[in-house]
Amino acid sequence: MQVTKHQQKHSGPKAEKKLKKQGGMAEDKDERKRNPKAFTVQSATRMARTFHRAQDLKAKKHHIPFVDRTPLEPPPVVVVVVGPPKVGKSTLIRCLIKNFTRRSSEDICGPVTIVSGKKRRLTFIECSNDINTMIDLAKVADLVLMLIDASFGFEMETFEFLNICQVHGFPRIMGVLTHLDSFKNSKALRKTKKRLKHRFWTEVYQVAFYLSGMYLGISDSGSEDLGRFISVMKFFSLALIMEDLTDPEKVRIDAKCDRTVSLYGYLRGTYLKNKSQVHIPGVGDFQVADVSFLPDPCPLPDAQKKRALNEKERLLYAPMAGVGGVVYDKDAVYIDLPTAHVCQEQEEVHPTTELVQSLIDTHATLDVKMAASKVSLFTSSATLDLDMEIDKQKGEKEGPQENLVWDAKTQRERRRVVFAEEEEENDYSSGSDTDDGFDGGSDQEGQEEEDECDEEEEDNLSTLIKKARVKFGNTEKTVTVSASPVKKQKIEEVKDNRQLFELPVFADSEDDLEMSDKESGNSKKGEEEREGHESDFGEDDEEVDVKMDKGPGDQEDEDEEDNDDQAEDDWDDEEDVGITKTIEKNITSKHRTFENEEEEEEPCFVTEGSFQWKEGLQQKASEAFLRQQQATPNLRKLVYGTGTKDPFNLEAGNYEEEEVGGLFRVSRPHDNKKHWTDAKDCSRFSPDSSHNWDIGEMLKSIRDCFVTGKWEEGQDAATLLKEDEELYGDFEDLETGEVHEGQTGSDEEENEGERLVKVDDEEVQKNKRLEKKRRLKERFDSEYDDGEATYFDDLKEEMQKQADLNRAEFEDADDETRVQYEGFRPGMYVRLEIPSVPCEFVTNFDPHYPVILGGLGSSEGNTGYLQMRLKKHRWHDCILKTRDPLILSLGWRRFQTIPLYHIEDHNGRHRLLKYTPQHMHCGASIWGPITPQGTGFLAVQTVAGAKVNFRIAATGVVLDLDRSVTIVKKLKLIGYPYKIYKNTCFIKVGKFQLTSPA
Amino acid sequence: VYRNNNNMASQALTYDGCNFFRQRLVLSTLSGKRVKIKNIRSRDDNPGLRDFEASFIRLLDKVTNGTRIEINQTGTVLFYQPGLLCGGSVEHDCNPQRSIGYYLEALLMLAPFMKTALRATLRGVTNDPTDPSVDLLKSTAIPLMKKFGLEGEGLDIKVVKRGMAPGGGGEVVFTCPVRRTVRPVLFTDPGKIKRIRGVAYSVRVSPQMANRIVDSARSVLNQCLPDIYIHTDHMKGANSGKSPGFGLTLVAETLTGCFLSAEMSSTPQGQGDPVLPEDLGRDCAKLLLEEIYRGGCVDSSNQSLALLFMTLGQQDVSKALLGPLSPYTIEFLRHIRDFFQIMFKMETQKASEDEMKGGDKVLMTCVGVGYSNINKTIK
Repeated sequence: MQVTKHQQKHSGPKAEKKLKKQGGMAEDKDERKRNPKAFTVQSATRMARTFHRAQDLKAKKHHIPFVDRTPLEPPPVVVVVVGPPKVGKSTLIRCLIKNFTRRSSEDICGPVTIVSGKKRRLTFIECSNDINTMIDLAKVADLVLMLIDASFGFEMETFEFLNICQVHGFPRIMGVLTHLDSFKNSKALRKTKKRLKHRFWTEVYQVAFYLSGMYLGISDSGSEDLGRFISVMKFFSLALIMEDLTDPEKVRIDAKCDRTVSLYGYLRGTYLKNKSQVHIPGVGDFQVADVSFLPDPCPLPDAQKKRALNEKERLLYAPMAGVGGVVYDKDAVYIDLPTAHVCQEQEEVHPTTELVQSLIDTHATLDVKMAASKVSLFTSSATLDLDMEIDKQKGEKEGPQENLVWDAKTQRERRRVVFAEEEEENDYSSGSDTDDGFDGGSDQEGQEEEDECDEEEEDNLSTLIKKARVKFGNTEKTVTVSASPVKKQKIEEVKDNRQLFELPVFADSEDDLEMSDKESGNSKKGEEEREGHESDFGEDDEEVDVKMDKGPGDQEDEDEEDNDDQAEDDWDDEEDVGITKTIEKNITSKHRTFENEEEEEEPCFVTEGSFQWKEGLQQKASEAFLRQQQATPNLRKLVYGTGTKDPFNLEAGNYEEEEVGGLFRVSRPHDNKKHWTDAKDCSRFSPDSSHNWDIGEMLKSIRDCFVTGKWEEGQDAATLLKEDEELYGDFEDLETGEVHEGQTGSDEEENEGERLVKVDDEEVQKNKRLEKKRRLKERFDSEYDDGEATYFDDLKEEMQKQADLNRAEFEDADDETRVQYEGFRPGMYVRLEIPSVPCEFVTNFDPHYPVILGGLGSSEGNTGYLQMRLKKHRWHDCILKTRDPLILSLGWRRFQTIPLYHIEDHNGRHRLLKYTPQHMHCGASIWGPITPQGTGFLAVQTVAGAKVNFRIAATGVVLDLDRSVTIVKKLKLIGYPYKIYKNTCFIKVGKFQLTSPA
Repeated sequence: VYRNNNNMASQALTYDGCNFFRQRLVLSTLSGKRVKIKNIRSRDDNPGLRDFEASFIRLLDKVTNGTRIEINQTGTVLFYQPGLLCGGSVEHDCNPQRSIGYYLEALLMLAPFMKTALRATLRGVTNDPTDPSVDLLKSTAIPLMKKFGLEGEGLDIKVVKRGMAPGGGGEVVFTCPVRRTVRPVLFTDPGKIKRIRGVAYSVRVSPQMANRIVDSARSVLNQCLPDIYIHTDHMKGANSGKSPGFGLTLVAETLTGCFLSAEMSSTPQGQGDPVLPEDLGRDCAKLLLEEIYRGGCVDSSNQSLALLFMTLGQQDVSKALLGPLSPYTIEFLRHIRDFFQIMFKMETQKASEDEMKGGDKVLMTCVGVGYSNINKTIK
């Protein structure tokens, strides 16, 4: 029965009464106030523990601060597109490129760099199914787009790649589902998506998983969304294990057998020094002969305030793909884009090299087209047809099973991953709604999140999914028999297309040829000019000589001049090394170039001059070094400019042995230089004899070095004292009651104050007090707030300061000088010249395989014993045997080695194991390249083909490096006793065979 | 397949002559690059390596594992392929032709990058006129290394026995912890000198000698600063080595913790004119004044050590204000460029008119190579 309520009173006595009642009740309810004793600390230990716990949780959130060394202008982000064959990698790249640049590209071959935004460039690389490529690209990727064929499910390649990433440092990973259009049933689609996503999450936690419905061959909104996502995504500076790397994009052949190769690419990671060592995976270690930076072929648009990029700024740079004619020269890169946004102005082109270029280009691309044609097979007919399923499952396994499936359409075997749980699930998938089966515990945590994500994704992709829903039809496992091996025909077709397509490109390059012919004249002019410059430098050198000879008397005049010519001098320095080199060459070939002497007279003269100067330098260095340093306006010249030669090319610069007429050798045993090189090796710096410390003048000249000397303004003891007095000057002697006042106001002010009106005086006093208070507070803060600032904060601040210093130090210098001090910055586009590369590198060059140059640390070029912690991969079929060759990917390198497995016993010795343990870590020792400790590695048994279930055999980490290692082996010796004493027995062992396994 | 290509990467750096012998071998060991030194005293009447150089190579062999050394018949060509620094407890009888300082200077550069903490016991000549003495290194190099983040347990040089040239018989224990990385530094402010400390030592002579040295040195230095304290160290019996001698080491400490030093030691017995302790004290004090005149944050004998640690630092900017560069340091800079491809930016700071702070200074700036100790084991 309904009872009508009375109207509630908001005012009046009743309301007050009620309020009081409620308030009283509330007071009663607060137990803490009523009975505080009951809530005091009951256990100090427990309180300490809670505090400790809270602090632990707080500290857990901290990350070790690093100095921020990210470059201001970063290199393009490397986006690697990975996936099993026929999943739509090339299509995706093509769609993305079209989306970003509005240009269609036919064949994706080698890296493609595009400008995607005002501050971001992207380099797309396609990763083939080859494990070598997967390993190399996992090391350089910033972002991985992992393509998964949703209609088929996971394939082994995906998990192999994830594992490689795990070992070599995780890039950001984005999963992309393709072939979603094959789902005719929206429910099946949703379920598949969820299932794949969850499995992905159990493997990689931090990844964004993006589900896109890729429609083949069409640049659809899916790829657009994805593109937007890539451009928005935040990148952290990826902590690469190694130092630096470049993505070279072009190879040039110089000689026939041992090739000198120049590689071009963006520098990433850290600084690259000239003449440093690099490793090219698959090729070997090399010393870089020369590095030079080039203007960026794909520059970022200037920082203008624009919302979108205009058409011209949407640059595309794909030197190895068939996009435009690309011409290389030592100083510049020329790209001819058909749509006529040309990146660089052309300066000079040598026609011969260009011809060679185009030849090489076509050669490479023809090869590649054969292989690549397969990729472009996609047609608009969507459903994937499976021919037959071969089940190769073995009993129970913890890992996923490989399920080899013959795909008739693509004419190949596909390596499906079948998880034990998944199978179960599949069995009753029709009834049960979700995938609780297979991630167990983690699932519950993430349940809410997942749902949210789902919704988001569905919003994003609503259009796509709608499309997919329209194509409602089959379930996820379609088994239809409609294999049509039309591959060959198609290849031919594609080929024809290509040739047709190629023609205009050639025409373009011919145009270039003409252009280059015209410009060759210019280039000659340039050379002449350069010569002119050189002679100028020569003159400069002479000037220096004169200066040195003049001695200390005339230095002041010289100094003035130098100041005037400061800029020129600096210039001169940079060139100096180069000049001396040419000079040295001149000397060695002096007698040969006798006829040409007229031409070379000038440089020869210069040589002599510089020679004398050099000798003079050494002489003086031993005499009065100080004076000379003052005389040299630029210390750099003294240290680096001359006097040294490249120790690698000592033979070339061996100018001491001058031949006269080819018969006699001029020998100068008491040469100054000889004397210097064989002088006593002593670090002591003998004092300047001209200083007489008995004279008061000299003592006066160092007076301010002592605390007793004059101090700088502001640090003076008097000012400091005064400040202190202002703060602490006032005090009252409590015993005598006497009040001491600090001399803050100073007497004059007081006198003035008397004259002023009283109100003003008070105000002044008030202000003064406030001021004093403020300063006292500041001091107090600075004293006591330091306690608040934790170690972590200090560390962070220190790092920040260092980062600022790093940025500021060489900011103003021009690139030429900066490069000498810092090395080549990441983000620069550089050309590297590498000598003595095996010719196979050039002859077998395939742009589909990335060429990566990994920088090596100073001692990483050597070899030694590496002790590692290793674990057989849980998905790998069989355990590994000692002395079975294994291919390791360690640091930048991939190499084959023979590991010895061992385990550490309680007494600290390493006992040899014949096989790796099934589920445990063990030690492994190999002889290999020195790699810093803590570097992760992975091992595969073979790189050719996919013969095993899961290709990655083991993973681990380097623990120790040494030149010798001790591993003990247990031996069983069988023999007969031949002498028996009281407690001792001698046993005769037949033959001591070390070779036989014990 | 990994191939150690027989190309430029594995080619050795080639040098001429025996000068800067230690620099080359030390940098080679740290960088892992091979070194070939040719024409070692090839024009000399007594060609080839001297005993003290051989002794130095032996010391390097003791602290490393896997080092390959090849010397030709006459000793004029040396090939050195460095191994990995292993450290641990090392005992070495240094050749008395050079003092322990000669060997210790190199060890100071290598010690932080060993596999295990180094504890080196060096026997030989502790003080002689040519090389920086053990006392000098103890009072200047150790605080310098601490600034690079190498402090901690057991960075110390301890003079157990003193042995003067030519006989020797001294003993020094050098201990150093290992580090994975070196910290970048900013030594731009030398600060003002707050105190001068020193050690006047004497062995196998009258203990009064040390007092005489102290008096004469004070007479010079008192004009500049009142806070001077010079210890006298007279060692007797077994701790006094084989030869008589005396000497003085002076160290000036600034407010910012920079150390400038000077030292002098008596001429070895039977070589040259004997010196009076008064003269020695006075001259040594003047040497210190000279060193102060040169100034900078690092004293002239440790310039190369500071520059090395700056080079081996993280990939950050390091700065140090130095006095005029010594010839040894200049050659060291060239070698650093050869081995580590690092060039220093050098800016001369002219002495200003109104400030009486000695001569011109050089501000050295570099970006470190990001060296990490590849020898240290991780567990």
